[in-house]
Amino acid sequence: MIDRVLETARGKVDGADALWRREEQTTVAFESGRLKAVGISEEAGVNLRVLAGGRMGVAGTTAAKPDPKELVARARASAELGEIVELAFPSPSPQSLPPIPTFFDRTANASLAEMIRMGRLLVERLSRPDCQVNIAVQREVADTAVGNTAGARGEYRATGIAVTADITRIAGDDVLMVYDQYVGADMPSDADLEALVQSVETRLTAALTIVTPPDGALPVVFTPAGLAAVVLPLEQALSGKTVLQGSSPLAGKVGERLFDERLSIVDDPLTPGRPASRPVDDECVPSRSTGLVERGVVGRFVYDLETAARAKTQSTGNGRRGVFGKPHIGYTNILFRGNDGAHGGHTAGLGGGLLGDIDDGLIVDDLIGVGQGNVISGAFSHPVGLAYRVQRGEITGRVKDAAVAGNAYDLLKRIGGFGNDGRWLGARWSPSLLLEGVSVARR
Amino acid sequence: MKDRLAAAVKQSRADYTEIRVERTWSSAVAFRGRRLETATVSEDQGGFVRVLNKGYGWGIASFTSLDELPAMVARANELSRAVRVDDPIRLAETPPQSADAILELDGDVRGVPLAEKKKLLDRYNSAMLAVSDKIVDTQSSYRDEVSEVWYINSEGTSLYQLRPEVVVSGTAIGRRNGNIEKGLESIGLRKGWNSVQNFESQFRVVAQRAVDLLDAPRVRGGAYPVILDNELAGVFIHEAFGHLSEADFVYENPQAREMMTLGRRFGKPVLNVGDNGAEKGLRGTLPYDDEGTPTQDTPLIKEGILVGRLHSRETAAKLGERPTGNARAISFRHAPIVRMTNTYIAPGTKGVGFNDLISDIKLGVYACGAFGGQTMLENFSFTAGWGYMIRDGKVAELVKDVVLAGNLFQTLDRIDHIAGDFTWNQMGGGCGKGGQFPLPVTEGAPHVRIEEALIGGDV
Repeated sequence: MIDRVLETARGKVDGADALWRREEQTTVAFESGRLKAVGISEEAGVNLRVLAGGRMGVAGTTAAKPDPKELVARARASAELGEIVELAFPSPSPQSLPPIPTFFDRTANASLAEMIRMGRLLVERLSRPDCQVNIAVQREVADTAVGNTAGARGEYRATGIAVTADITRIAGDDVLMVYDQYVGADMPSDADLEALVQSVETRLTAALTIVTPPDGALPVVFTPAGLAAVVLPLEQALSGKTVLQGSSPLAGKVGERLFDERLSIVDDPLTPGRPASRPVDDECVPSRSTGLVERGVVGRFVYDLETAARAKTQSTGNGRRGVFGKPHIGYTNILFRGNDGAHGGHTAGLGGGLLGDIDDGLIVDDLIGVGQGNVISGAFSHPVGLAYRVQRGEITGRVKDAAVAGNAYDLLKRIGGFGNDGRWLGARWSPSLLLEGVSVARR
Repeated sequence: MKDRLAAAVKQSRADYTEIRVERTWSSAVAFRGRRLETATVSEDQGGFVRVLNKGYGWGIASFTSLDELPAMVARANELSRAVRVDDPIRLAETPPQSADAILELDGDVRGVPLAEKKKLLDRYNSAMLAVSDKIVDTQSSYRDEVSEVWYINSEGTSLYQLRPEVVVSGTAIGRRNGNIEKGLESIGLRKGWNSVQNFESQFRVVAQRAVDLLDAPRVRGGAYPVILDNELAGVFIHEAFGHLSEADFVYENPQAREMMTLGRRFGKPVLNVGDNGAEKGLRGTLPYDDEGTPTQDTPLIKEGILVGRLHSRETAAKLGERPTGNARAISFRHAPIVRMTNTYIAPGTKGVGFNDLISDIKLGVYACGAFGGQTMLENFSFTAGWGYMIRDGKVAELVKDVVLAGNLFQTLDRIDHIAGDFTWNQMGGGCGKGGQFPLPVTEGAPHVRIEEALIGGDV
């Protein structure tokens, strides 16, 4: 498909690149502990980008038998309105693409019965009379082909599996929601599923007692899940796009130590076993890892081909594209590391061993409304979704009706501690972080 | 197309079969700062099959290749038969519907050249950039679509719907040194080209606000009397209450059913809330939902008392209530689930305005505009675009980072005054639930006063 489209484009435009992707998903859904629905979805599409008269245009289609001529004509029409971009499509790589396993037979071949078995196992292990348990098991198999008129090609098959557990406990007027997931390219072992169960149970059990929230500027442990509000501003500010646009507070700060000197952040498409890993990006750039922050020092911003051309630098292999619209910058796997590199995994206790020195503070596991404020400024302010009070080094219970606020850039200047509970959450790996002086307000 | 779908339904061996096919024509233009990002025209199409068998669960298939339709019907049937259920799934009765429902296009976007759309968005984008040299970046987008939707089920319903949509939105980013603020304007309508003209002044206003916010202090955290403007009051009712009225949250959960018992008091007698998918001309409006049920105005809270909830055919059957036309899917890629349409707080006493709400507040917050909201059912957030302190009954200084922390049982009951100045707020974006985002919805409300609400921030 790619070759036909690129062949049709050749001669009609100055250059082109294209992505073809076919995805098959199978989903098994348990609602309130009962298997309720099984679904499949199949989708295929092509995205074409052209350079014509120095201007860029794009077109996409999900048609079963796309007409390459029509697609090229539509991309050219788009280019007529487009900006001038001095973009060079990458030539075929002299070395072969990095060998990264993305396809696991066990995942691709997992039967419906096996997926149902995993779901049932979780339902059985997590069922409690006062809880509603929803489980979903979703498997994906995707074929990707990318290519350009400079002759570069990339092709790979990938698998992914996500097992999610949603537990809702209603007692009178108290609603408690606990969520967790296993996400990987390879099937979870029963030990992985057991770790998921333990993670949910630990958080659920500690939440059964409700205590009054504290207030003031306090030490707060952000769990890997709770860290989202702190991570999001950094992800936006480290994007080459916001740097070019002048809206990143980290622009012009490469080489400066702005964060705790133990903190390193890496974008790594080459981590084995992760669904976001890939040998090549969606613009034919071979994958490699990028040090975003190295020991507290701002390292490199991430770029796709277009933003790299505008910034007169190289793409970091962070091009991402869907069937519709033009390629854009996307992270692959993002890893937050302290320099000690302790890996507890998610069987470690709640708080990641960081509670000992806390006289009065919080563990934040979930915040409500993350991503809806003025994110890139670093300022965040959110009601707690799931949080616990810590007094004299011990968890005393769950707090409700409290809100935490702070500025991510300020809080990460000095990190009180890195937890021993590092784990994956979707495409992000991090331990818990202890941050000092977080504002906690209560009613 | 109808005949083709009818034939496929007829061949199905399942007890119940429904097929939805969509063909969507859309165009999009985006600017980032002074640069055009893209200007494209796209066509997306695909199908969705859902079947049910007695004693078995749902079998579902979605696909982009329509040639596969008969095979997908057979496949969905196999999947259904892989799911044995003890508690049979039933669907509430609805009379079969047969109609061609063509919504008003108000200037068919398919007939307007892409260059014209670029020109329009360029005007709005430039209006923001021209406000101040402190506006360092913008994100502006124009998107329109005309979606043709065919729906046929094995109970005799056969529908063709033409659904237009157009969204123009702009974010202005103001910056001075490390300080960054934003202003957001968004207009989303189930209409066409004619309805998105002449909004320059609105885009200028939000850019000016981004600049003004650079000098504004962060709001201090704590509990305050709060007045919500129409836009934020709409987001508030959507998050605070709308999601809890979706029956898929209660229908399988006895504790949730008890918590949401009809007849329970949730607010003072001033509070009236509903969801109306049949209201003319709004973004959440549809003649029929994605199970072929006609939409309607469903009262949810009457004079403070819970009186209704939103249903699909499955949740209605389970609770012995009637379907309300709230089963919606964002596209053929998804199954319909219970969703809101146009959710509203009904206006209070006619003639009562903002000044009547503010006059006896000594220290409070006037929270305006909406960056968003999210709920965890009992607790929820709603993020204002900006706010003002209220001092001695008057609007005082501008403040930023105004995020409210709500509690279903406390916050709703603390609404003590509702103005008569109702408006529908037709924004872009949409609602997210169960992996389906963004679903076009509308919210409507007058100014609303909450006696006491928690706002996050330094204390």
